Amino acid sequence: MANVDVSQSKGKQKHGKKKKSKRIGFRIDMTPMVDVMMLLLTFFMFTTTMNKPQTMEINLPPSNTKADVAESNLLTLRITDDFRIFWNIGVEKPVTVDGADKTAKLVALGKLLKERNSANPKLITLIKVDGKAKYIDMVDVMDELNINDITRFSLAPMLDEDKKMIGTL
Amino acid sequence: MSKSKRVGFRIDMTPMVDVMMLLLTFFMLVTQFKPMDVAEVVLPSSHSAFKLPDSDVMTVTVDKEGSVYLGFDSQNMRGMIFGEENKLRAGMQVQLTELGQLLREARIRNPKLRTVIKGDKESEYQVIQTVMETLQKENITRFNLVTDLER
Repeated sequence: MANVDVSQSKGKQKHGKKKKSKRIGFRIDMTPMVDVMMLLLTFFMFTTTMNKPQTMEINLPPSNTKADVAESNLLTLRITDDFRIFWNIGVEKPVTVDGADKTAKLVALGKLLKERNSANPKLITLIKVDGKAKYIDMVDVMDELNINDITRFSLAPMLDEDKKMIGTL
Repeated sequence: MSKSKRVGFRIDMTPMVDVMMLLLTFFMLVTQFKPMDVAEVVLPSSHSAFKLPDSDVMTVTVDKEGSVYLGFDSQNMRGMIFGEENKLRAGMQVQLTELGQLLREARIRNPKLRTVIKGDKESEYQVIQTVMETLQKENITRFNLVTDLER
């Protein structure tokens, strides 16, 4: 099509054919439309991929099952509303995880959990979070467990006995 | 003759434009399907890179004040659970006491439903804990927490 168009516009001798050749070679320049489409396309492509939310998977045991765990295999984490972390194994006295700020505490907690889990591979972590704590505190702790590949954990409500144990009641 | 060919050189863009139009329509439709937000929620961040499933999702949203909303990704499900007049709304506010009943009903209609909890990072843990206990009671032992990717 393209070369027919060009060759005929060049031939000036045949006057009768000139008008007709313009019709045959009639084209609309699609470039602006293509530009706009490309823009929209990139916009939609970016927005769709960006909006894919990340999730964290949790597996909890069904509420009607009772699992018996030896005390020495149970590591309890208690998190207070002002983000102090207490940990103990079995019936030992709870000890705090120290750190200057939240991040430092979480890093220390991760290290501790890793150590304890390599020492005892059967260890099960039980997380008890104070009801007045923020949701992010719980997510942060769970994230720390995920980073350290600790898959055996469970969540339990913080009871008054727990609060008494760590001295916040 | 060979020179004139050069001058008038054009590429036929029609196939490219066709493909682009196709992609454009595809993406436009896909973006429309992304879930609307029932409540303003600031997500907590985590390192987990697990992706949210595309369909059959049931979302329990907990906002900063501790209000609980239930939402579904398909209009069909919303129509069945919340009534036809509410099927265009992304979700409805529910009471914690009726959440269990609604979850059970929804799972009878669509057993493939996956549950996700979308909590505001500043919301009180107490509410989230109650929601999780409700899920556990309804035998939903595997669920996801929606988070933002950290860093």
